[in-house]
Amino acid sequence: MNKVLELTKIFLKTSFSSMNAKMGVSTKFRGKFVLYGLLFVYFAGLIIFLSYNLLEGLIAINQEAIFIAMVLFMIFGFAIFQSIFSSINILYFTKDTEYILPLPLKPYQIILARTIVMLIAEYALIFLVGLIPLTTYGILTGVGIAFYIKMILAVILIPILPVLLINIIVMIIMSFAKLTKNRNRFQLIASLLVLVIIIALSVSMNGIKGDVSNEEMAQMIVQANGMLEMVKGYFPTVDFLINALTTNLVNVAIFEFLKTILITIVAFAVYMLIAQKIYFKGLVGNLFGGGYRKSNKEIKQKEFSNSKLYKSYIGKEFKCLYRNPVFLMQCLLPAILIPIVIVAITYTSLNSKETMGELTQMLGQMQVNTFTVACIILGIIQFFTMFIYISITAISRDGENAVFIKYIPVSLYKQYMYKIAPNIIMNVITTLISLGLAKYILNLPIITLILLLIVSTIMGILQSILMIIIDLKRPKLNWDSEYAVAKQNFNLIFPMILSMINIIILVGMVILLKDINIYVGLLILGLLFTIITIVVNKYMKKNQYELAQKII
Amino acid sequence: MIEIKNISKSYVKNKKSIDNLSLEVKNGEIFGFLGPNGAGKTTTIRMITGILNIDEGDILIDGKSIKKDPIEAKKNFGFVPDNPDMFLKLKGIEYLTFMADVYDVPQNKRREKIEELTKKFEIYNELNNEIQSYSHGMRQKIVICGALLSEPKNWILDEPMTGLDPKSSFDLKEMMREHAKSGKTVFFSTHILEVAEKLCDRVGIINKGKLVFVGTFDEMKQKFKEEASLEKLFLEITEK
Repeated sequence: MNKVLELTKIFLKTSFSSMNAKMGVSTKFRGKFVLYGLLFVYFAGLIIFLSYNLLEGLIAINQEAIFIAMVLFMIFGFAIFQSIFSSINILYFTKDTEYILPLPLKPYQIILARTIVMLIAEYALIFLVGLIPLTTYGILTGVGIAFYIKMILAVILIPILPVLLINIIVMIIMSFAKLTKNRNRFQLIASLLVLVIIIALSVSMNGIKGDVSNEEMAQMIVQANGMLEMVKGYFPTVDFLINALTTNLVNVAIFEFLKTILITIVAFAVYMLIAQKIYFKGLVGNLFGGGYRKSNKEIKQKEFSNSKLYKSYIGKEFKCLYRNPVFLMQCLLPAILIPIVIVAITYTSLNSKETMGELTQMLGQMQVNTFTVACIILGIIQFFTMFIYISITAISRDGENAVFIKYIPVSLYKQYMYKIAPNIIMNVITTLISLGLAKYILNLPIITLILLLIVSTIMGILQSILMIIIDLKRPKLNWDSEYAVAKQNFNLIFPMILSMINIIILVGMVILLKDINIYVGLLILGLLFTIITIVVNKYMKKNQYELAQKII
Repeated sequence: MIEIKNISKSYVKNKKSIDNLSLEVKNGEIFGFLGPNGAGKTTTIRMITGILNIDEGDILIDGKSIKKDPIEAKKNFGFVPDNPDMFLKLKGIEYLTFMADVYDVPQNKRREKIEELTKKFEIYNELNNEIQSYSHGMRQKIVICGALLSEPKNWILDEPMTGLDPKSSFDLKEMMREHAKSGKTVFFSTHILEVAEKLCDRVGIINKGKLVFVGTFDEMKQKFKEEASLEKLFLEITEK
């Protein structure tokens, strides 16, 4: 067990080395600490605000217990979503595996240490999205100390099963690595397959319950906490924990916890058994499968053909992004997947004609084509696009070879623009998906949608320019695993901060221009962001050489 | 032609990594840049290629200043860095056509040039594979091909022989000789003294940021009035 702990410590240290390495420099550390603190306060405040409002409404109709179910499902969802991206990377694409494998360690020790590292990483976010709303619930409903103990225990237990489940799915798919000659393509396909399977699972889970008829719904709403029954039945341990947290009886709570702990222990044992059998097969196939090279004498004429530099450069950027599984999953896909998952879930939820009809009827009575609604949509798009990590890693992704941009005869400014082009394109795609959803639910006029696309694209260009400036000023060029750039990189906090600022600007505009005509309002917004973008772009162009000083 | 005029560079205040270095590499010359680890070879090459800013002095590549007219100066050289692990996710052919686009290699010439270079280095059959699947030596070869594709007048190569098999190393040396014979310039850094002795018209030895010797090997022997091996002379110069 000591070895497992030692190994866990090493994995954790290498994972967070970027943060530890600079801790000696007190001002930098203080800066980061303040930044993290501010972000924490912002998100915690936001969560408390939302929880408070939601709970007030639920308490009024005697349905407050459903809030617990919602939070527990949210934790479960977060755990799944986080593991999709971290599992394959932590288990298979970290380079330290090459140094760990020759050490005299037993397979179970490595698997256990890797799993603990994944769980610790999960808890960081889950404590934020789990404990804060549940504490708000506790304060508002005036529950006793026992609730808080149960709450902590539940938040610790929930993420374990999803992590194990996703790890097993990943391991099964990756165990086919040794069967394939083309390791790179396999890694790519495997990564996508994991995503598809998990999204399909989460969407189908959403549809399991089927439709609840209006009569049943009415009956459930009338009953105290009747709505709770509607959300149960998706995942056994979540149900047990909902029961444990909503009951006032100690013995019931203990029994529900015991069931959950027992299932978790059994699942862990099964997981360790399966993992020991299949993990290393896939890992070795993945590590030492060797580069696949096919001998091909004839190269087609078109492959020699020249193209305009911008096409060639942007094409190169895209190829380097999507052919690398880590960059694909961390930088490119989240921006598309998050809206798609939401679209899929919304679609399955609203699939029943009855529900859709009611929703349309309800929205029909509301005035949706307003400046406030437009700003809300832009705010949601901002939330989605903050997961596009292309521009913020544009320089760092090239690692030590980032110097390439400095010795070729192309102006640095042009190269910066080529490097951010994929970010802008992905931003447009995310916006289109989101607007498609907005059209489906709100049936907004086409002119509004076009204006929203324009404003969102301008915001996307601004985001892209600002992010590459940050990456140029604080590049992370000495890395030995892509994961260090695309995940364990402090700079990734900046897209989040920018989205936060943009959302604040949007809220400010809503307050200032509350009753303004939607088109005039959107034009003002577009103009505002265009001016900011021009200023920032001028700064980048003027300082193109100074900005590249850290690339050596 | 490469003219280095009184350049200096400091990474830390009051400590010059390169101290007032002047050098001229003439047309038709192969120039070897030697020095122990940490002497300032890579820093100098990085200043010549525009990767590092020059604190004092200037560098001209065929008369174009890397400081004042960087884009034009960069068009006049092909550079092979010491680390060939670049654009690993691109196929060999994709990397070369990208480099051809960057250096404006005309359509009618690029196929011929790519075939000529890659066949010489025996990597033509691998061009449809990702660079990631190449061995270290093959990566070195593809980077060299990329740098020479536009037929630059000045070649600047940082440790170009590292990782090359004997045949490729021989071929590269031959290419360097041919290039110099046609009146163009080759500037390269190396640790292998024998290569420098056999290949270079002149060498420059840098130590602790200062150029301690420039000239031919005969001049070196005359200066030190010794018939000792190059290795001994090198050690004597750099340990002074």
